[in-house]
Amino acid sequence: MPAELDISAYPPDGMEVRLIERFTTLRGRRILEVGCGDGRLTFQYAPTAGLVLAIDPDRASIEEALDQQARLHVPNVAFRVGSVERLPTRGAPFDVALFSWSL
Amino acid sequence: MVHALRRAGQRMPSGGSLISIRPHRTWRPLVSIITPSGKVPVARLINSAFDSRLSAAEAALVRVVQEGHFTLAGIQDHRYRARLDNLSQLRTYLELIAPPRPRFPAGRRARLLNLWESRPRGSQLEIAESVVVTALQRC
Repeated sequence: MPAELDISAYPPDGMEVRLIERFTTLRGRRILEVGCGDGRLTFQYAPTAGLVLAIDPDRASIEEALDQQARLHVPNVAFRVGSVERLPTRGAPFDVALFSWSL
Repeated sequence: MVHALRRAGQRMPSGGSLISIRPHRTWRPLVSIITPSGKVPVARLINSAFDSRLSAAEAALVRVVQEGHFTLAGIQDHRYRARLDNLSQLRTYLELIAPPRPRFPAGRRARLLNLWESRPRGSQLEIAESVVVTALQRC
């Protein structure tokens, strides 16, 4: 049933990126995405972003994101299993932190 | 939640942006039947377990501003709609939402079924959802 496969409880693709960019650009930025899940939002902005660290505590979701990353050839995203609370306090800074449906 | 925001802030330079996108706490999802002659609102879905999480998220955002880690750059609400062809798709839509899932208020699911049974040809279901975007700037 192709119509069933198109159903999503999330906003249409592109809407969240447009909302974010009312406040800040993502183009060329170093981005921390907290609660990235399977990369649904990540893959929408990653093509124009600088470097992205996308984290989620759910291993299965990160594995899905990695599979999708391999298919889409998106080299500037590092998907990691983890939580922001365990992020080292030292390290390269991020210009933007995104908490999309995850706070 | 406050700890998560503080930790993210520790890795951001002054002027960096923290963006939170989440469901709107008070604009609940509205299920309607769209007929060729207009819209028939049927039910606002409820989700008390999730409401408390949204309240906690809002409180955490306020707290890190009060603590001086961030300033408020702006808040924006936005609505979006999903159109569905039948009740099976509505079930799928609701099942795709991560728990805790919203539910119909008492009696409203039965009302939807009754109205859908007698719908005019060409009718669809609509779910109107709302999100709120909060933007903070690192001090």
